[in-house]
Amino acid sequence: MGKQYEIPVGAQHISLLEPLHFRFTTENEKIVKTDANVFYVHRGIEQACCSKFKFRQVSFVVGRVCGLCSISHTTAYSQVAEKLLKIEIPRRAKYLRMLVIELDRIHSHLLCLSHVAENSGFEALFMKTMQYREFSMELLEAVCGNRIQYDFSIVGGVTRDLKPEVADMILKRLDHFMPQLEELIGIYKNNWTLSLKNKGVGRISKEDAMRLNVVGPFARAAGLAVDVRNETEDLLPWKEVGYEMITDTAGDVHARNMVRLREIEVSIRIIRNVIAGLPESDLVTETKAFPEGEATVRLEAPRGELFYYAKGNKTQVLERLKIKAPTFSNVAGMVHAFTNNEYASAPAIIASYDPCLSCTAR
Amino acid sequence: MKKIETSLATLKNDLASFYNPAEHHFMVMNAVEMGEKMEVQWFFCDYAHPCETTCFFTLIERGEEVPSIKDIVDSAWVAEAELVDLMNINVENTAKGFVLEPDFESGPLLKKK
Repeated sequence: MGKQYEIPVGAQHISLLEPLHFRFTTENEKIVKTDANVFYVHRGIEQACCSKFKFRQVSFVVGRVCGLCSISHTTAYSQVAEKLLKIEIPRRAKYLRMLVIELDRIHSHLLCLSHVAENSGFEALFMKTMQYREFSMELLEAVCGNRIQYDFSIVGGVTRDLKPEVADMILKRLDHFMPQLEELIGIYKNNWTLSLKNKGVGRISKEDAMRLNVVGPFARAAGLAVDVRNETEDLLPWKEVGYEMITDTAGDVHARNMVRLREIEVSIRIIRNVIAGLPESDLVTETKAFPEGEATVRLEAPRGELFYYAKGNKTQVLERLKIKAPTFSNVAGMVHAFTNNEYASAPAIIASYDPCLSCTAR
Repeated sequence: MKKIETSLATLKNDLASFYNPAEHHFMVMNAVEMGEKMEVQWFFCDYAHPCETTCFFTLIERGEEVPSIKDIVDSAWVAEAELVDLMNINVENTAKGFVLEPDFESGPLLKKK
């Protein structure tokens, strides 16, 4: 046995995008043990939602849990509140929620991919991926009014309709993006230098992903077919707009890249189908009821399963709101998948997990 | 959501007979204040379509020790550590200092301190 060294990484580190702390125990440059801490950014959002804000305002508060998957939080909260109010939202609002969720998935996946490239030492690919990602931010701004933290889903429906000229703009920009996506897939799939840093690195097996309850692209890249869009359709009709599960088997950084890239293709198909089949109806279901009882909602955010629990007591303020973010579910898998990898590979592995501590610590 | 009542004494047996990693995944733990008592919840979900969310729950006194389920669900240590820090629940063999810094006052989400 060689001499062991402990290497702390974070909360501030050049390869970390989030205030997360890892303590790697290494032996001959190989990681043999990992400890993690996530205690840097607790903001008390759940407490604020149950004390300072009325239940209709909470959708705007939870939109600030995370900048990237804000639409997932506002939609999941709106859905759980709608369950407590026992209301069904208009069909057009469901479609518009799916549209924004999928646009958001494109921009989140491209951000993750760009950081994997950067942390693998491929700065030019980072720049190219970020450049191509810009169109998704512009489309989100055109639909929602904001580039991030879009206050689009509200209790009962959505805040804005999709104008015909914006729908045309989305379709044109997607057409323009398709060859760029094919170019990115070609590079991430075949580039030899990138493959040295990504193939066989940060691997997790399907059995371990299942045992550690991993979610999102991290799980699907290991062959674990878990995706809320595949498991429930009572709140959003994913399958009628062309949803398809994407999985891989290798479970390494390269497989996670490929799952995300192919999920972008699925997202584009869903967006086109949503626009083609957008039903005519109101945007909001009005009600004067107060939330009563308890309910749960699961929603597939870009990083995986997002879970909301809410309890109402027939007043304006919720009794309890619990948010479980995808990264929270992936912490155990993340710690496990570092083992037996070179310490030098840690930055690319961390980026490929796509961790979000804003969501996790809330 | 299917709610199944359990007790601290039977919790581990109930979860062990229910939880099959190939069929369900463990999502999270939660606690809700019920006056002087707390309702502790363990959430699971099916992999199948259509899926069902199952919640095991039990009422505990404040400060009462909750058994750890780490030997049944490998990833449960994350949820248990969160509950210790944010709701000041006393979970067996679980220390403070994962979601909040170790010297932080536990239970910032509690309405009744």
